[in-house]
Amino acid sequence: MLPSSIIVILATALFTLGAALILFWAWRRGFFSDLDAQSRVIFEDRDWRLVRPWETDADRAARERSHGALQKPDAGEWGGAS
Amino acid sequence: MTRISLIALGAFAIMASAICLLVLVPQAMLGKVQAPAQLSGYTGVQARGRGVYMREGCVYCHSQQVRDPAFTTDVDRGWGTRATVPADYVYDRPHLLGTMRSGPDLINVGQRIPDLDWHLIHLYDPRSLVEWSNMPAFPYLFEEKQPANVLPNDRVITIPGPRAPKGVVVVAKLDAIALAEYLVSLKRQYPVSPDAQATEQMVGGSHGAR
Amino acid sequence: MSTPDITHGQGFQHTVRPNAGVHALSASTLDAGEVRAVATSRGLAPEDLDVRLRADASSRTVVLVLFSVAVIWLIVGSLFGDLASMKLHWPDLLVQQPWLTFGRVRTAHLHAVNYGWATAALIGTSLWLMPRLVHAELRGDGLALLGGVLFTIGITVGIVAVLMGYTDGMEWLEAPRYAAGPFLVIGGGLVGLSLFRTVAARQSEHLYVSVWYILGAFIWFPMLYITGKWPTWSGVESAAVNWFFAHNVLGFWLTAMSVGAAYYFIPKVLGRPVYSYQLSVVGFWSLAMFYSLNGMHHLVGGPLPTWMITTSIVASVFMFIPVVATGINLHMTVVGRFGALRYSPTLRFIVLGALAYTAVSLQGSFTALHEVNRVTHFTHWTVAHSHVGGYAFVTFVCFGAMYYIVPRVVGHEWPSAKLIRWHFNTVLAGIAIYVIALTGAGVAQGMALLNPATPFEQSVIRAMPGLYGRTVGGIILTIGHFVFAYHFWLMLRMPRTVPRRSRPPFHEAQPVLYTPEAAAASHSARAGAGAVASASTRAGATE
Repeated sequence: MLPSSIIVILATALFTLGAALILFWAWRRGFFSDLDAQSRVIFEDRDWRLVRPWETDADRAARERSHGALQKPDAGEWGGAS
Repeated sequence: MTRISLIALGAFAIMASAICLLVLVPQAMLGKVQAPAQLSGYTGVQARGRGVYMREGCVYCHSQQVRDPAFTTDVDRGWGTRATVPADYVYDRPHLLGTMRSGPDLINVGQRIPDLDWHLIHLYDPRSLVEWSNMPAFPYLFEEKQPANVLPNDRVITIPGPRAPKGVVVVAKLDAIALAEYLVSLKRQYPVSPDAQATEQMVGGSHGAR
Repeated sequence: MSTPDITHGQGFQHTVRPNAGVHALSASTLDAGEVRAVATSRGLAPEDLDVRLRADASSRTVVLVLFSVAVIWLIVGSLFGDLASMKLHWPDLLVQQPWLTFGRVRTAHLHAVNYGWATAALIGTSLWLMPRLVHAELRGDGLALLGGVLFTIGITVGIVAVLMGYTDGMEWLEAPRYAAGPFLVIGGGLVGLSLFRTVAARQSEHLYVSVWYILGAFIWFPMLYITGKWPTWSGVESAAVNWFFAHNVLGFWLTAMSVGAAYYFIPKVLGRPVYSYQLSVVGFWSLAMFYSLNGMHHLVGGPLPTWMITTSIVASVFMFIPVVATGINLHMTVVGRFGALRYSPTLRFIVLGALAYTAVSLQGSFTALHEVNRVTHFTHWTVAHSHVGGYAFVTFVCFGAMYYIVPRVVGHEWPSAKLIRWHFNTVLAGIAIYVIALTGAGVAQGMALLNPATPFEQSVIRAMPGLYGRTVGGIILTIGHFVFAYHFWLMLRMPRTVPRRSRPPFHEAQPVLYTPEAAAASHSARAGAGAVASASTRAGATE
């Protein structure tokens, strides 16, 4: 049940293989190492230290221990009204 | 190579491979499908009618495909004597296969309802013929004339029942007639070769008779 | 000490952040040496502390314009949708005018909400996010603005053309290619160019997952569009192309940007990184691989080579890999912190949106299976499914993103908690009613169609109650949209506290959120501390 156009089949295989090779090469180059650091890129110091009303005292204490003195959020910080 | 180039190349390659597999391969295969001898292309009027079908969005409520009787009950319901095959759609540009059946499938409606006047009346006011129908009416494809103004060549239609408009004569405009002609042309019940029905064997060249 | 002027609209505003600790930068409390010390201790150059604010400022105008356009499309699209829904149970409603016939109004609705509302809101969100993600100002923001305007013109031309009776004929691809196409291609291209140039100018070594999704969207959509709009397709090949495009525009354009936004806002508001960043790599690449192959599931049973249909069903089932990966990330990040939804409208919308994404994707995989498809194909089930995805997922993410971004763009928080609550409650109720009613209608219709002994009439009659229910749901949604649009207008009308397109230097005030209490507190604090009488104080960064 082979489609007749062998050229297009080969092109499909080539692109798919190409994609796989690119991903493999990226992995070898270390682009997938230290992913945890990548996950922290969006945070600034202030994000770690904001007082979040939904967190427990234990959570806040943990934040303070890891990141330093806590800060009050601004009005509307979480996307709402004050 | 930077990370961006990587992401860009990887994304491009994956999509390119999908385009090859699902667009270019089928194009290469199905491009070899010949029109069946019993299927003629659309005449000028029918083609115009097909354009009206597209313009009014008929495809959003009506499908034009009969599915395999081994899979489901389209044939049992009377929408065709066989499943439709790619060859049935060779002259369709673009396809109007449809994805909704708010209304019945139409690929064989010319076989079921060959009466042009039925289609014209139905287009003017679907509920005058089919009281449970929720199809829109298309009065703007028609003209309501005073009886004195009717010309000898006008295609007059008579609306049955209590919904008939009073005191005017309903005349079909060219677009309505063309659309009705297109609908009446929809017949795909000529036999096709058994291997054409097994659509996965669409290998061009090995079905020389087609 | 002179009292700085704190009135609105006077250029730079002079406040000190409330509760400014050692990490807030106020030129009046830290000298240049201390600034350098603080920056160095955080591994940043002093000018980096200003980067986020410059990043936000650089995207401000184009984001505001695109969001305004999006809100207008939301209203227009909702009204078209309500009208189309009503016509299905009141078929003699407004039939005299050709431009109001169901077949054209339905298409106008689809374009207005997908290419109008969702696209504009997501592009606006992406243009705001990108500078933040790569810590660089938006490059080519003027051209991006032009691009957004051109794109909007293109969509408008397309919708007007369809209403007037000009269509290219394939669902999702109706906008006439030579009338609307140039605007869409050039407009979209300018926006994409701006995003790519911004990434190229990035200052961060890492590329966060949201960047991949946004870049992916702007690579994939042109490829899809060119493929879909190529003028030579005919016959069943055109059907294959049609549904290759229409399904992939959902996954590679709308979903990509929505997931990218969710990956940013959920961790950001919660102050927790995503549950498993490794999974986000898996999620991205497996989405690309499998989603691209499943478009033919719209044609199950249709006149196409069986191998194509089978490939699409298999790919649809394999979709559980990216969906579970992304789902784990987005849901597990929130687990234990669901209380946050009470405080953050952004989270309320985006977390629910992410749940809807998981739900609609699992529903989609399920629907592609032959046994289920026999019942659901050609029915209202599919329309209901598309609204779980396009509304409960994509639109909810857009709402959540806008609730977060707009205050940071106009300089003050949303004025009314009540309006936010009304918006959320109405659209949540509306979409629930919509989906339940229409899914029920679809199942009733499908079961009737499946039984050849049941006359076709029954498939119409049994779906009717659900169609009425869908109109009720749709009207409730529309009310919610009017509430949101009104609130958005109020935001635009409030005095601007930050000048447009400003690039103020490091030492000058950068207030993003101003409240009267904060200003009062800062005056007394500075008077008490005997601070240097500086007309400018660093307001410090706010998110």
